[in-house]
Amino acid sequence: MSKPWRGVLYAVLLIAALYYLLPLYVMLSTSLKTMDEIRAGNLLSLPGAISFDAWHKAWGTACTGIECSGLSGYFWNSVRMVIPAVLISTALGALNGYVLSKWRFRGSELAFAMLLFGLYIPFQVLLLPMAQTLGWFGLARSMAGLVFVHVVCGIAGTTLFFRNFYVGIPDELIKAARLDGAGFWRIFLRIVLPMSLPILMVTLIWQFTQIWNDFLFGLVFSSGESQPITVGLNNLANTSTSVKEYNVNMAAALIAALPTIAVYVLAGKYFVRGLAAGAVKG
Amino acid sequence: MGALAIKNVTKRFGDTHILKGIDIHVDSGEFLILVGPSGCGKSTLMNIIAGLESPSGGEVHIADRIVNDVAPKDRDIAMVFQSYALYPTMNVRQNIAFGLETRGVPKKEQDEVIARVAKMLQMDHLLDRKPGQLSGGQRQRVAMGRALARNPKLFLFDEPLSNLDAKLRVEMRTEIKQLHHRLKTTIVYVTHDQIEAMTLGDKIAVMKDGVIQQFGSPQQIYDTPANLFVAGFIGSPSMNFIPAHLASEGGVIGVSLQSGDAACFAPLLDSQRYAAYVGKRVIVGVRPEQWDLAADGGGLACKINLTEPTGPDTIVFTQINGIEVQARLHPRDARSPGSVLHLRPDMSKAVLFDPETEIRIG
Amino acid sequence: MSVTSRPAHYGFAEHWLPRLVLAPSFLLVLVFLYGFIAWNGALSFTASRLLPNYEWVGLAQYEALFASERWWVAVHNLFIFGVLFIGGAMAVGIVLAILLDQKIRLEGALRTIYLYPLALSFIVTGTAWGWMLNPGLGLEKLMHDWGYAGFSFDWLVNPDRSIYTIVIAGIWQSSGFVMALFLAGLRGIDDSIIKAAQIDGASLPRIYWRIILPAMRPVFFSTLMILAHIAIKSFDLVMALTGGGPGFSSDLPATFMYQMAFTRGQMGLGAASAMMMLVTVSAVVVPYLYSELRRSRHV
Ligand SMILES: Nc1ncnc2c1ncn2[C@@H]1O[C@H](COP(=O)(O)OP(=O)(O)OP(=O)(O)O)[C@@H](O)[C@H]1O
Ligand SMILES: [Mg+2]
Repeated sequence: MSKPWRGVLYAVLLIAALYYLLPLYVMLSTSLKTMDEIRAGNLLSLPGAISFDAWHKAWGTACTGIECSGLSGYFWNSVRMVIPAVLISTALGALNGYVLSKWRFRGSELAFAMLLFGLYIPFQVLLLPMAQTLGWFGLARSMAGLVFVHVVCGIAGTTLFFRNFYVGIPDELIKAARLDGAGFWRIFLRIVLPMSLPILMVTLIWQFTQIWNDFLFGLVFSSGESQPITVGLNNLANTSTSVKEYNVNMAAALIAALPTIAVYVLAGKYFVRGLAAGAVKG
Repeated sequence: MGALAIKNVTKRFGDTHILKGIDIHVDSGEFLILVGPSGCGKSTLMNIIAGLESPSGGEVHIADRIVNDVAPKDRDIAMVFQSYALYPTMNVRQNIAFGLETRGVPKKEQDEVIARVAKMLQMDHLLDRKPGQLSGGQRQRVAMGRALARNPKLFLFDEPLSNLDAKLRVEMRTEIKQLHHRLKTTIVYVTHDQIEAMTLGDKIAVMKDGVIQQFGSPQQIYDTPANLFVAGFIGSPSMNFIPAHLASEGGVIGVSLQSGDAACFAPLLDSQRYAAYVGKRVIVGVRPEQWDLAADGGGLACKINLTEPTGPDTIVFTQINGIEVQARLHPRDARSPGSVLHLRPDMSKAVLFDPETEIRIG
Repeated sequence: MSVTSRPAHYGFAEHWLPRLVLAPSFLLVLVFLYGFIAWNGALSFTASRLLPNYEWVGLAQYEALFASERWWVAVHNLFIFGVLFIGGAMAVGIVLAILLDQKIRLEGALRTIYLYPLALSFIVTGTAWGWMLNPGLGLEKLMHDWGYAGFSFDWLVNPDRSIYTIVIAGIWQSSGFVMALFLAGLRGIDDSIIKAAQIDGASLPRIYWRIILPAMRPVFFSTLMILAHIAIKSFDLVMALTGGGPGFSSDLPATFMYQMAFTRGQMGLGAASAMMMLVTVSAVVVPYLYSELRRSRHV
């Protein structure tokens, strides 16, 4: 390709990069301004004196409805929700994937097909019955209920990830281990699991992002004490009746985004692989 | 004593019949070769012997005991796989020890076994490496080492050498043969390399389409192949299949051969056993090395189309009864393409086949 | 997939362990996905309002749904949003993937930048874009500052335009995803085909148009599926950006369902709308999954 064309090419790519980065820049700069500065300047203007007041407020004292104690509680709720939900759904997915690829039995393919369709079900059809059921078990609007919902809805995806990965492990390896006298669990723990590091990372990261970012279940199945950060952020940004404090909103949005962005930056490789794996569902 | 007996074993995957009634008997200490084209069901049969797949019908006996319902680990066998199937996250030592460990062999004994095996296969220096850090030949060695670690009643080798380059393959072949002489264990060995089959086996079972075509000693299979398939499969270059009429000339039964304008009558030895076929079409099987130069100017005058020197011999190509025929001659006797050679088949070794059933006659 | 190898199993443990291990997940999915679909289906035939009430009313809820103006606004919005969002994200993503595939320096960094929005929650995206598109201090003010005094941008509060703000934010968030999938697909194409075409004298655009893009068909379809799926389930972004408003002008079926079922005490109607969503998704997904499973059966 000729020189000028390559120039155009790079220009287009850089403009695209600006387009993607712009909202992040706007969020960050706005969160470091005071409201006066926001009214005086515009979206792109740099903060004059950097002020962390908005961050403090977003974390500790901003109103999210009647309550005015910032996002900190929601943040820790999300942490307490995401850890068990991710671990349980990943563990189940690994076991299911192992069975569905290496210990097939009559009917296991049907079970897999049923799981697969579960990936595509619009969760709206589950909301009403789930709310009822959680209520019966005394889990309505509780952290345990929310974790349960995330596990149930995550199994299909994690199973698919592991199953597709394990299909790539040669069957002969399992056969050799069986001849060596190893059974179901020993083969899993000693042979298969040590080979699973890449897919384990992919699944953990994928599930973490999905569950941390979930809003629907948080909104429907939790309240006050147990609401996750996405719900907190939405309350903070959309329900305040008084004048809107955009700097606080942006700081809050960044707080909500930080964990997933951190994961993305630290383990982007696995994140992209997860996307690709999720895309070739089936 | 029977080390392994397979009785009428069948295997279906859905509607496809992969194995159609296999019968094999191997005595203790014997080296059995299973040979056949790709996809004929060799690995499936091995897996059934090992208990990794269950037969759809029939019985598998190991050491005179029915093992259909015995788990692989309790069959007292060891297997070397085509892909080696080394545990990628374990080093060589752990790979060898794994089978001992699951059987609860004490650590000290494990170390002894590892030392013994490593010495036997000369791989002391590899013990701390992971499979990914080994060459193909080394992996193959480790896979054998893993199988040798226990003293099983039966060794199963599923194309253990097919991933190696030609030179290494010949070396390992010799080594396996020596190992067998030393250990005297029963071995079932799958290959689709007919040279491996001939050189290693005490017995050979030639398989095709899930059926054993012939079961016998290498020499039996080479000299008296049961049918056209076996005759063509074993031996390289392949046996020549010359279509001909079986005729009786003056009480002698033989076939007439024709090459270009030349023709001759080749009488069969001990020919009365073919009497029923006189006047019918047959296929005469003559191996390339079963042609001699007729120094007296007899035989069949054949025009040479092509020559392929292999070093020790030269293969000459000619046309007989309308098909291409190869003859393996001493390089001294070969002539360049275009010239004429007088060739005479060694009819004492020739075999005849029925063109309809493809089965050997007589 | 039709004929799969199953290992031989011996004894109680080998026979039952795999089933036992799969059983909890299978039961969870059976009860909490399939069972609940049936239950939700049942609710949609009842007169449930604030609380479930199993008085059978036949198709009355569906009739009410189809008579509801708000539902049709939501469906219409879904159509607009679906077409523009899928088309836009595809176009941007494919173009970026092709451009990035030209042996670009900094490719890694650019890819990281294009893709990071996907790590964000739609709520975060919605909050950020809500601020930027804000009629008072956002984009409008910026343009005024830059000297375009007459510039006005009120889409966020304009009932005729609000749905488009969701499209904008949606494309921003998801186009990097399309880029990543297509780039992976482009990298998977055998180099020698392209070299052969170059030797035949084909120009670069022609090579893309005639050789590479046709080879990307499977990637195209799976990406399309995923985007369609995101579009139909879209909920968070609307809630964060417009809350479905002004009025219900930017409602989508997912927000409609939530409003009816959980804030307006119209449980039966909500259940009926959820069933409609399920039917729509199934109409897209079932043929796709079927063809995928068939294909993998024939490899
Ligand atoms: N799990 C299975 N499901 C369906 N068909 C199978 C299965 N395993 C093997 N087959 C079929 O059975 C036939 C025999 O396979 P097998 O692996 O035993 O062949 P093989 O003789 O070992 O071939 P090769 O020399 O290539 O290793 C093949 O046609 C194969 O496609
Ligand atoms: Mg095989």
